[in-house]
Amino acid sequence: MPARAYTDVSDQQVVVFAQEGREDAYRELIKRYERPVFSLIYRMVRDKETAEDLAQETFIKVLNNIDRYRPEFKFSSWLFKIANNITIDHLRRRQVDTISIEGSPTAITAESVRATAVTVTSGGESPLEELESRELGAEIEKAIARLRPEYRACIILRHVEDYSYDEIAEIVKLPLGTVKTYIHRARQELRQYLGDLR
Amino acid sequence: MIEHDFDEEFVPIAAELQRLPYLSPSRDFADRVIAGIDRLQPAEVAPIAVARHLELHRGGQQAVVQRRPIGILRATGRATAGVALIAAAAFMFFEVDLLTAILSAAVTQYAFAIATVGTQIGALVLGSQTIAYLQAGAIQAVILYVVLAVGLISGYGAIRTAAQIARRRAA
Repeated sequence: MPARAYTDVSDQQVVVFAQEGREDAYRELIKRYERPVFSLIYRMVRDKETAEDLAQETFIKVLNNIDRYRPEFKFSSWLFKIANNITIDHLRRRQVDTISIEGSPTAITAESVRATAVTVTSGGESPLEELESRELGAEIEKAIARLRPEYRACIILRHVEDYSYDEIAEIVKLPLGTVKTYIHRARQELRQYLGDLR
Repeated sequence: MIEHDFDEEFVPIAAELQRLPYLSPSRDFADRVIAGIDRLQPAEVAPIAVARHLELHRGGQQAVVQRRPIGILRATGRATAGVALIAAAAFMFFEVDLLTAILSAAVTQYAFAIATVGTQIGALVLGSQTIAYLQAGAIQAVILYVVLAVGLISGYGAIRTAAQIARRRAA
């Protein structure tokens, strides 16, 4: 089956093809989720190279263990769960908690800042709208970056990826009550940080 | 779209969060991931092999029509042709009489049936008493051979025992 034939195929079916060892199915899964996974990880670690390494580690781990996937769960939930585990482990090891959408916090020269800056996909807006959107987006990004990593994961999964509380609890391996508390506190902190935006 | 479970003050922030763009990794990201997957062979050409399948998708289920085991049929055909060639070469080079070979095989295969038919023909030609006499003689001969064999083994055993006793006494 050529890669373009996967357009109307569900994640579960693509996983079945991947379990048969088909490279095009692996590429389809990567194509579908590389941006959401990379975005989640980047917003947690705030460094492009680190986010790429962690996203790569996530996909390799998931796809090497594709036979263990249980179809009663959403593939994306399983993927985000692995991504969250890997990222939280990394943050605990490195204690990375710095802010910079323009480039890596460890970048010193202008060249290294450009090299570590992320590519933001345009939504097809006019230049002015795009600029305003980028400014607002940058404020939101900065506010998210000020949250605790656990809050970041929960608020992104809730408001960016549209997951339910139950799904988030499954992904981050926390009790449902804890997830609700984290999201409530994250909203309060975001409101506080973004007071001027309103 | 998620349901509203937050106060009105958070609505514009929630809207901004939903408008956050996805960030893209490097262009060669997928290639680097694929290179790290152990189970994928670099020389694999999956689309060509799979194109022979008839695949149906309905309601999340997949039905695959199995191909005939072409590999097994080919192997069987090749083995048969090989044996035939070797047999032909053997007949040509060693001048084996094909008819003799077939008859020998048939005699070996149907020895019991031939013996039964032979006995019946013998009974018709020579009479049942003659055949019974011959069979009795054959049984006597078998008993004689068995007695001879037992005698030989017993004699050999007795000689060895006597030799051992003699050695012990001498010692």
